[in-house]
Amino acid sequence: MPDDIRTLLALTLVFVPLSLFSLGGGTALLAEIEHQSVTVHGWTTQREFADLFAISRAAPGPGTMLSALIGWKAAGLPGALTATLALYFPSSLLVYGGVRLWGRWRGSLWYTAIERGLAPIAAGLILSGGVAVLRASPGAPAIWVAVIVSTALIMYFPRLHPLILFTAGGALFGLADAIGLW
Amino acid sequence: MAEHSLDHSLDARHARQIGLPAIFAAFFWLGITSFGGGTAGWLYREIIQRRHWITDEEFLSAAGLSHIMPGSGGVNLTVQVGLRLRGGPGAVAAVFGLLSGPLVIVLALAVGYARIGKSATIHAVLDGVAAGAIGLTFATGLKLVRFSRANPVPLAVTVATVACVGVLRWPLIPVVLCLAPVSIGLGLLKRRGGNA
Repeated sequence: MPDDIRTLLALTLVFVPLSLFSLGGGTALLAEIEHQSVTVHGWTTQREFADLFAISRAAPGPGTMLSALIGWKAAGLPGALTATLALYFPSSLLVYGGVRLWGRWRGSLWYTAIERGLAPIAAGLILSGGVAVLRASPGAPAIWVAVIVSTALIMYFPRLHPLILFTAGGALFGLADAIGLW
Repeated sequence: MAEHSLDHSLDARHARQIGLPAIFAAFFWLGITSFGGGTAGWLYREIIQRRHWITDEEFLSAAGLSHIMPGSGGVNLTVQVGLRLRGGPGAVAAVFGLLSGPLVIVLALAVGYARIGKSATIHAVLDGVAAGAIGLTFATGLKLVRFSRANPVPLAVTVATVACVGVLRWPLIPVVLCLAPVSIGLGLLKRRGGNA
């Protein structure tokens, strides 16, 4: 089997199962995507992973475009398309099927139990995603401070547009580097 | 009666004839303008408030389902809106519309990054952006935790999830397969107990 076909297959085998377990959306998968692409398959270095994460969040659209970037790094454009399809197609198909059952389930004891039971796991996965990206980043004290400040800002000012925060963060760090603060 | 009103709303929708290109275009616009995640909120503004393609009630029902299903909340909602507007082809048009713009933009950014990524200043800028994005991630998770503050069981499940996946770096799928039945079961027990 040629190498690029093997890489596309590996991308599919990583993202299809994750698609079906992404409770709480793509952010919940960050920890596992980091582990798979840095440690297991070596598609990116830690440094590249942290950079690609930042790029994926600065772009518009559902925040899971990180998978496209990992695919692109692993196998170019075919890799990007494969990873995107592998991440979105299975969960979309599941929703397609779910719509039919949904009318009957909604409000039932089981439905409420599933909804309540999965919510704290989703919260835990999302927080783990934050931990994973923080670990992949260079981990300078300035980054920790910036993370804590941004978390607090978004918690207390929910209407603050994330893009303003990203731009401010990028500008501050870029400026600090340019004038040689670190 | 319920069936009758359902038929009626479907008829009305057919009469309006929202074509596949229109669906694709609307979701393409949504895709390239929904910055910073939170696609569900942007979708509500564009599709319900501006275009009135589905009702508030349909939106809430779809949002509820997209909440308990795996996958990106925004994409799951998009699948359902597309389905309601035009069936399977509508769902395909909506999802491709939503994803194609951001895909091109993110790849263009990545190609630019590959050209100039060696520069220390670029790394610093991206660190700053990442710090903000990590903050957004933590804030989203913490907001979800806040809802369960009154109850120690969900909090314990969240802590266990963070310990296993975030700290110990155990693989996500087995962890979810173990924790989900426990968490759902404890919720059921509590509910039964509360009813008795």
